[in-house]
Amino acid sequence: MIEVIVNGKRTEISRAMNVNEIIKELDYKVKGFAVAVNGTFVAIATYENTIIRDNDSIEILAPVQGG
Amino acid sequence: MNEELGMRNEEWEIGGKTLSSRLLIGSALYPSPANMEDAIKISGSQIVTVSLRRQAAGGTDGSGGNQFWDIIKSMGIEVLPNTAGSHSAKEAITTAQMAREVFGTNWVKLEVIGDQYNLQPDPFETVKAAEVLIKEGFEVFPYTTDDLVVAKRLADVGCNIIMPWGSMIGSGKGLMNPDNLVAIRKQFPDLQLVVDAGIGKPSHAAQAMELGYDGVLLNSAIALAQDPVMMADAFRVAVEAGRLGYKAGTMKEREFASPSTPTIGTPFWHQFD
Repeated sequence: MIEVIVNGKRTEISRAMNVNEIIKELDYKVKGFAVAVNGTFVAIATYENTIIRDNDSIEILAPVQGG
Repeated sequence: MNEELGMRNEEWEIGGKTLSSRLLIGSALYPSPANMEDAIKISGSQIVTVSLRRQAAGGTDGSGGNQFWDIIKSMGIEVLPNTAGSHSAKEAITTAQMAREVFGTNWVKLEVIGDQYNLQPDPFETVKAAEVLIKEGFEVFPYTTDDLVVAKRLADVGCNIIMPWGSMIGSGKGLMNPDNLVAIRKQFPDLQLVVDAGIGKPSHAAQAMELGYDGVLLNSAIALAQDPVMMADAFRVAVEAGRLGYKAGTMKEREFASPSTPTIGTPFWHQFD
């Protein structure tokens, strides 16, 4: 197991993995979110090649109301 | 009646789009998503601001976020994602990039907060982020103060739109420094200028439009009204009135009273008195 930070919370995942895999492992079902890793935007096209490693910080954001 | 008058619903261009409404409206703080939808519809607004927040695993975050987004998508209006909550250029840039993917627009309301107490924008980080985002193809709608020099810097880095505040976000205090807003209008006759934040009453919106601003952006004034839908209607009318007033050309202020009723033939006046 490795530890990563998902939306500000420490979370254990089974191993280092790409963004597609972590989304599946964390059970994100609803589409329409965007991802940043360590403060940098990760486009959908690069999910496969972006590896989440120990202590990485991942943000998964979705549409909400805004002013 | 609008068509008969021929002066309302005048088209204007912002961010590469031709629109008729000059009222930009926020989507937050309404009593319910249905109320938000009704308010947006009656406001006539064609641009609605939206945002991004952390998504919980498994489905929704329980805040009705998906229902909200489904409603907005169904309305066929332009969305203007904001970078609210950003405290640095880096955070704002990343948020804008994420928003472009999620919302499918290159528009971004650039918001970099410099002080948590009054939510005043950080001018240095805002300019820095605007420069990067414009190079990346974004149409940047920067939220800024009413400081003329900051507006100049934003224009220098390529902003076509500048959105100075009327007063603090959510304060409802109206236009704190109309003279500053006028100075920005005079310096930038060709940019699209929108008063963003601080508007609390329809009269504030009308005042901004009378100053020659191209539009107003507000949220709390409608969403926190006792009747948001009626208030949205009031703002629609106020923005139209202010715009028409500006175009019609207001009279010059005078230092002394001047009667409007003709003095010739005034009754009960005697020449021999």
